[in-house]
Amino acid sequence: MAILDRSASPEDINSVVEAWLDQHWDSEKRCAKGEDSYDEKAWLTKVFEAGFCVPSWPTEYYGLGLSQKQSGIIEKAFAKRKAQGSARDRFHLGAITVFKVGSEELKRAMLPVMLTGPICCLLYSEPNAGSDLAGVRTKAIPDGDDFIITGQKIWTSNAQEAEYGMLLTRTDWDVPKHRGITFFLFPMKQDGVEVKPINQITGESEFNEVFITEARVPASHIIGNLNEGWTSFQTAIAYERLIMGQGITERRGKSKADSEPQLITLARKYEKYDDPTVRQKIAQALAYRELNGLNMQRAKQEIMTNGSSSLMSLGKLAMSRVQHGEAAIATDLLGNAALLDGDDYPDAANINFDAAKAYMNSIGGGTDQIQKNIIAERVLNLPKEPDLDRDVAFRDVKSS
Amino acid sequence: MSQISDEDRQALRDGFSRYLEAEADQEKLRAGIASDRGYDNSIWQQMAEMGLLGIAISEDFDGVGGGATDVALVMEEVGRKLVPVPFASTCVVAAEMIARFVPDPIKQDLLQKIAAGQLTVSIGGTGDFVSLSDDGHSLSAELSGDSWVMNGQVSFVSHAGVADYHLLGLKEDGVDSAYLVTASDAVSAERLSTNDPAQRLFTLNFSDAEAIKLEDMDAEGINQVRMRGVAAVAAEQAGATRAIFDITMEYLRTRYQFGRPIGSFQAIKHMAADLLVEVESGTSAALAAAKALDSGSSSAEKFVSLAAFTCKDAFRTVSAQAIQMHGGIAYTEEHIAHLYWRRARAGLSLFGSSDEHREHYLKSREAA
Repeated sequence: MAILDRSASPEDINSVVEAWLDQHWDSEKRCAKGEDSYDEKAWLTKVFEAGFCVPSWPTEYYGLGLSQKQSGIIEKAFAKRKAQGSARDRFHLGAITVFKVGSEELKRAMLPVMLTGPICCLLYSEPNAGSDLAGVRTKAIPDGDDFIITGQKIWTSNAQEAEYGMLLTRTDWDVPKHRGITFFLFPMKQDGVEVKPINQITGESEFNEVFITEARVPASHIIGNLNEGWTSFQTAIAYERLIMGQGITERRGKSKADSEPQLITLARKYEKYDDPTVRQKIAQALAYRELNGLNMQRAKQEIMTNGSSSLMSLGKLAMSRVQHGEAAIATDLLGNAALLDGDDYPDAANINFDAAKAYMNSIGGGTDQIQKNIIAERVLNLPKEPDLDRDVAFRDVKSS
Repeated sequence: MSQISDEDRQALRDGFSRYLEAEADQEKLRAGIASDRGYDNSIWQQMAEMGLLGIAISEDFDGVGGGATDVALVMEEVGRKLVPVPFASTCVVAAEMIARFVPDPIKQDLLQKIAAGQLTVSIGGTGDFVSLSDDGHSLSAELSGDSWVMNGQVSFVSHAGVADYHLLGLKEDGVDSAYLVTASDAVSAERLSTNDPAQRLFTLNFSDAEAIKLEDMDAEGINQVRMRGVAAVAAEQAGATRAIFDITMEYLRTRYQFGRPIGSFQAIKHMAADLLVEVESGTSAALAAAKALDSGSSSAEKFVSLAAFTCKDAFRTVSAQAIQMHGGIAYTEEHIAHLYWRRARAGLSLFGSSDEHREHYLKSREAA
């Protein structure tokens, strides 16, 4: 069996992973070989121990030290068999952030726990801190080796399942808003944490409100430094926007390159594919999607050569145009049929869902308008708009 | 496939870019436009010196043996500075047509002269390789003894006033033919008044002009030439789009109103961010088209169409918004913005409209 390191060929990596999965994963039953049902923790632990959770991380931090390209082969092999646990170095925002900016102690204590458990939830937004996220008011008050947390968070995915949340809190009220924030890895399974699902316009309830009342978090769970949480948080939010730019909020399989695009299928089915106006719209919509893919390919190339790429920040914005645009065209293709909904009308149900879901990309993770400010200021070096709360102690900042 | 290494390519680009930065300023551009030739011949000669005119020509004929990616690099730089040289027509389309369909020794002679900067070719008539088709032409080619003679009139022939040869396409009943005619007393050129002063368009009249007929023109070969022409123009537009965008961003950082740079207003920032998506998409599309051509990929057709309408539309949008974002200063003739805007408009119908390319893109996705 070949050894998995940077020098391993794609074929070698594939055969090692395939062999490992053959040995451990039952694709029929979708659980570990020899078991009758899926035990998430046990399975993730196996994947973690084999290094497949975070293959691009160094071996001293639970990875295999592989390149992104090599890691992709592992991810594909897992996806092919619908086995969980791979590519957590791409999608586990909590683990990625702790790995990037956490203390050595926190990494050693928590990465193994995080990587073998459910994805962390993100305790960022509050009812009064949305686009202006640095205006968080959730209190963290030191108490011995702990901090005591009280406040309300909103738009939290996976809050029921999550064992940990990435929590933004206010620790100093007497300095301007960005300088009094502390970022915690917060244990969710404790008294004083109440989770209430939000009913969304898509009909789903993936988001929750989280009410926190005098719950505790150890001081050792600060990610980065006390009152410097805004800096640590930038790492986490940058990864989140990156992931969204790859269309991750879409229904699975929508952007598959090898199948006929959904818009073409719908246009044929509703007998509008010969209409030149419809064809122009579909062509442009497919082009926007393809162009975003090409931009992201260039970004990856630039990252490999220069370590960073300003192109990355465009993905999420471009994806909004793709998703809202495709949903609008699909709605028009259906005509009256788009008025219907529900299980008996799957085409209508799907496109009505997509039309609503597109907001997940254009609002979630920062609205398009905030993203445009970021692109203008950080990529194009346009000057910042003066902030009225810039040099004001947070306790004196006006709020609604 | 390109014979040029990545390092050589980068060096070539850097050298050319530095040269243009120093020599192709707005003053030179305007002087070139005002001259009979329509462009600054010293730039053309320098391009020959640097090996750029032979970039798509085989080493067997004193060229460099580069591919579509190399052409794209030259075109992007040419586009950035709006240098109105006949590179795409002479060094890409004509050079490709001659290399494929003209027998030796004429082929060798023409290609060597193109690479050396001693010869330019204008292109007109009808056919997929003709960037500006003239369906109303009255050209006819007849065999007279052993040689062909050309008669009639054709319009929309770019840079024909100073061209040494005219390459004329005559597509009839779906069948392509093409002829090379030497500039001589048998050919008269009349300049047309154009919206973009840098675009030199002519009507040519032929009276018993001697012509060389191109041979064995196969549809696949012509399509290859067409795609290379389209990709070259797209790269030029991508370069020009980025340049006018950069000029505009610089203005937004330095122009003050209401006591602050206008680029600090969100109304302006949001326009800028949206335009950056168009700028980068143009670059990515032009690059993808060139790469697909160089690798002989079956998706070349698709990527070339994608690049065609993406780069046309991006250039049109960005150059138009550039004027808007500058405000009054860009409404003046002396500001450079309108020259980019005019060039974008001049490119809208090159090798077909955006709508035609979008349709073609959809068709080639179905075929894939």
